[in-house]
Amino acid sequence: MVTTDIPNSVPVTVLTGYLGAGKTTLLNRILTYEHGKKLAVIVNEFGEVGIDNQLVIDADEEIFEMNNGCICCTVRGDLIRIIGNLMKRRDKFDHLVIETTGLADPAPVIQTFFVDEDMQGKLSLDAVVTVVDAKHIHDHWEAEEAQEQIAFADVILLNKTDLVSEVELAELESRIRGMNAMAKVYRTRDAAVEMESILGVNAFSLDRALEIDPDFLGEDAHEHDETVGSIALVEPGAVSGAKLNGWLSHLLQTQGPDIFRMKGILNLAGEEQRFVFQGVHMLFDGRPDRPWKPGETRKNELVFIGRNLNADRFREDFRACLV
Amino acid sequence: MPGVTQSLLERRCQGTLNDYVTAIAWAVNGKRLAIASAAGEVAFLDTETWVPVSLRGGNGQSIDCLGFSPDGRYLAAGGQTGEVMIWAIDRPPDQITTLHIPRTWIDSLTWSPTRNELAFSLGRHVQVWAADEAAVVATLPFETSSVLDLAWHPQGEHLAVSGHQGVKIWRRADWFADPEIRETAAASLAIAFSPDGQYLASGNLDRTMLVWAFDNPFPWEMRGFPGKVRHVAWSSVTVGQAPLLAAASMEAAVTWTKVSDAIDGWDAQVLDLHRERVNDIAFEPSTTLLASAAEDGWLCLWANGEQPVQILEGAPKGFTGLAWSPNGQWLAAGGQNGEWLVWTKSNRGRGFGRG
Repeated sequence: MVTTDIPNSVPVTVLTGYLGAGKTTLLNRILTYEHGKKLAVIVNEFGEVGIDNQLVIDADEEIFEMNNGCICCTVRGDLIRIIGNLMKRRDKFDHLVIETTGLADPAPVIQTFFVDEDMQGKLSLDAVVTVVDAKHIHDHWEAEEAQEQIAFADVILLNKTDLVSEVELAELESRIRGMNAMAKVYRTRDAAVEMESILGVNAFSLDRALEIDPDFLGEDAHEHDETVGSIALVEPGAVSGAKLNGWLSHLLQTQGPDIFRMKGILNLAGEEQRFVFQGVHMLFDGRPDRPWKPGETRKNELVFIGRNLNADRFREDFRACLV
Repeated sequence: MPGVTQSLLERRCQGTLNDYVTAIAWAVNGKRLAIASAAGEVAFLDTETWVPVSLRGGNGQSIDCLGFSPDGRYLAAGGQTGEVMIWAIDRPPDQITTLHIPRTWIDSLTWSPTRNELAFSLGRHVQVWAADEAAVVATLPFETSSVLDLAWHPQGEHLAVSGHQGVKIWRRADWFADPEIRETAAASLAIAFSPDGQYLASGNLDRTMLVWAFDNPFPWEMRGFPGKVRHVAWSSVTVGQAPLLAAASMEAAVTWTKVSDAIDGWDAQVLDLHRERVNDIAFEPSTTLLASAAEDGWLCLWANGEQPVQILEGAPKGFTGLAWSPNGQWLAAGGQNGEWLVWTKSNRGRGFGRG
């Protein structure tokens, strides 16, 4: 599974965003920034990004294709082939950036790092960074790809803030947080953002299993006018491992394609350690974490991001797993 | 290591390139050897002198594939520079032409076994270049993904191309005709025709291997591999009802023997000795002696495709690939740190210990 505990593993940033949102601008910022790292960049739409000493590989093809949620079919050999070739060099790169096409669903790229043995051993997914065009996103809210790019993100740049009013921006940000309660959201012009906010984020590390926007947890009355949304559950009490397993496997079997990402911290009955987990579609990764501290309130916190998820049903089903 | 006591092969010569050895190729007569590296080097050796001649220095851009034409007159190399380089094998070899395909990695190429025709991948396409005409005679669209592997049928009349969800087989007699398709559920990573041309095997990303009789679209499916099946190799020797077949997956090499036409008509033998990933496998020509080269720095020889008989070393960080000379006289292998080694059949009878 994807962990960041692998020594010397190369971090991977997946860069997504709808056409014209500012991905290339951000990519140029990453490439020209003096971070002292040797970057390799795999791009799908070749732009003017040839920088000395950086490696830009033109994938020149739709590497990323969804196929009815079957992971074997979604993970294609192309990306693995390209990265496998890159990894043969002794003079390896320090960071890999994969820019997906504007119209791509990022899931197959993420899944590649979960399921391929070569990728698992040598690379670790750092974060999915999504650039959103604050002005034009309204033109393609209905596009599944646009929603999925927001849903899968760990970091969202709300770009082109100079083109919209503060009121519009606040509304947009709230709407995005309703869809994805896990992502950090930054407002940017010309994709100007601190590099530390997008590189070296470690978002897929289980040590950082859960960072839910506290405002999101506080509000119960979220407007769920999107089909894509987040569900956050916070429940006291201890969970039966067996019941939870049963519920999650049933969930992934019946709704796997609609569950984009999930993360959580659990208080398993009879365990002194927290249990942390995450998942991408049907792929699931979990393990015991640090012990609960004395005096710490033992509780369960879970976040699901997906399409057509029924919050009441989730809460009810989860409560049924409590001891 | 119980049983690993023979000394079939002994080291003949060795050298070093500047980075990961990416490709090794022998001329058909077994008298010439070429080796390429991730630093972009191409070295050429003659078995009379064993003095490496540098055909290309390293420029940092990897050379990924090499091959000698069937008549031994040409050597081709391709890589990340987007070039296919062709040398005429004179003394010394002379680079006679370069095909430029900008912004494309050339990571597989293979000469027809019967004609001086070279097939190479360029992204989602394959081109066939005829040396005698010095011209590209076919451009074949794989379409569903970039090309992952290429294999000519031993009679030279068909070219198989593997990639996402299948293998497409074009007929040389009519490159423009639609290819025949052999479907795979996931990506087909590695393909090989049996030397008798009767079977095609495909190692796949979804931990399966499929084998088709050449004229039949319905395959046998082999499951239970520990990881993706990254290499497949055939012996020319028939064991049971078909040539002996081998596959590499994670730390295992697995040999397969056909015992019947039934859906489960292949028996597997897991060769369990390597401690790290097996990067390449190949049978000695005309025998069932299998060589497996692995990340653990061991190159193991398996008699009858099952019995470990010798462990060769010389690439401490791991072997990346191997190649038997077609006459069976030599075995060459390359390593992570640019090491290359050549072993030959031992003349000293059967000794004891490691090579």
